[in-house]
Amino acid sequence: MIRRLTFGQYKNKGSVIHSLDARTKIICVIILSILLFAAKAKFEILIFSSFVFFVFILSKMMLYDLVKNLRPFYFIFIFLLLMYVIFSRNQLLLGVTYLWRYSMLLIITLILTYTTTIPELIKAIENLLKPLKPLKVEPRNIAVALSVAVRFMPVLFIRLEKTREAMLSRLANFRKIMHIKMLVVILLEKMLKSASSLSDAMYARIYNENVETKRLMRFKKNDYISILIVVLLAFIIY
Amino acid sequence: MIAAKRLYFKYEDDLVLKNVNLEIMKNSFTAVIGANGSGKTTLAKHFNALLIPTKGEVLVDEISTKKDELNARKNVGFVFQNFEEQIIHSIVEDDVAFGLENLGFEEIRVRMLVDETLSRLKIRHLAKQNVNALSQGQKQLVALAGVIAMNPKYIVFDEPTTNLDEKNKKNIMKIINDLNRKEKRTIILITNVLDDLRHANNVIVMKKGSIIFSGRKSELSDKILRAAGLHD
Repeated sequence: MIRRLTFGQYKNKGSVIHSLDARTKIICVIILSILLFAAKAKFEILIFSSFVFFVFILSKMMLYDLVKNLRPFYFIFIFLLLMYVIFSRNQLLLGVTYLWRYSMLLIITLILTYTTTIPELIKAIENLLKPLKPLKVEPRNIAVALSVAVRFMPVLFIRLEKTREAMLSRLANFRKIMHIKMLVVILLEKMLKSASSLSDAMYARIYNENVETKRLMRFKKNDYISILIVVLLAFIIY
Repeated sequence: MIAAKRLYFKYEDDLVLKNVNLEIMKNSFTAVIGANGSGKTTLAKHFNALLIPTKGEVLVDEISTKKDELNARKNVGFVFQNFEEQIIHSIVEDDVAFGLENLGFEEIRVRMLVDETLSRLKIRHLAKQNVNALSQGQKQLVALAGVIAMNPKYIVFDEPTTNLDEKNKKNIMKIINDLNRKEKRTIILITNVLDDLRHANNVIVMKKGSIIFSGRKSELSDKILRAAGLHD
């Protein structure tokens, strides 16, 4: 079940993109996402797409991985395309352009998660959010919440499976709403208990949202070059 | 020294701890034993200031947990019964670093201490592993590493061998024993297994929220254990 939910799972291929600081990748993804919807002319979209495919090649990602990861979205794409064909055939080209943009957005995100581990991403988010501290945004809280969610997601699925099996062994029938409700309530109760234990464990290890973690994250030459290239691309498209 | 003086703790309408008085000396190995629901874990949570007394006080190195929770948390490490829920981050080294980051240590020092702790527990090879892929025994060691790395003077182990197989039970008990004998850390072992008393030199027996015995292990009699509901 968990396997079906993964999108762009990290693979260590040791590419140039893998070696970039996670903050650089997040910044580039943000700029590229904005740029993607700013690009209007066909020429601009072509430049943008060529750049994304260039990064895709640099990331050493296999075409098979790309196709596999985009598979869950094929249905939505086909459905949207059909809607354009049936209801607004005169705007079909516009529809195709939008679908192309969404695919590009998915590919950018896919490259980010394919080349960056989740802990790296979380550290980068914490680091990037630091300037927002005066606005009462607590970067550490956000980072820890993300980390806890990632840590406990598989636990949730294992518990769901175990509870489901335990209920099935006592003749539960999941076609009955009542049994589904029961499963959800049991699962919620277990997760709330876990949350309480987890909060105790965090306090026991002196968790304090105000403590600033002193993580060493340094931009290297390649990070500056990457950001510069993306900014240059932005100038060309604008 | 950890001391409890006329400690009472009320949870909603239940009086869970009643007039508890105790002293746990530095470098000792104290086992707190009692039947399920006798108040062992509730008592232990007071040592780490996770719970604050309703009445009376708990002192860690002569400082009341009511006045200084941080002092208690820095000095008293707590290894929970359900270690699965003690692990916060999904990558082993990140989880061990959690407490050290909270102490405000620099990254270099954090990495050094994480490395040292993982090596000491012989799990350095797991540093980059995902916690969810580890065995129960390995998870217990990761939870322990997260506490040891913070270098607390006192460590509370809440039923550490529950959910473990024989081999892992022996390993964890050996580590606990070494922490006391070799590293001179004060150990407080919460248990309901009589066999776990082997390494302890002091024993506290609890029944229905009160201490019915506190003293040297050699002074513990079958009569007391029967009274606590631990012996037939």
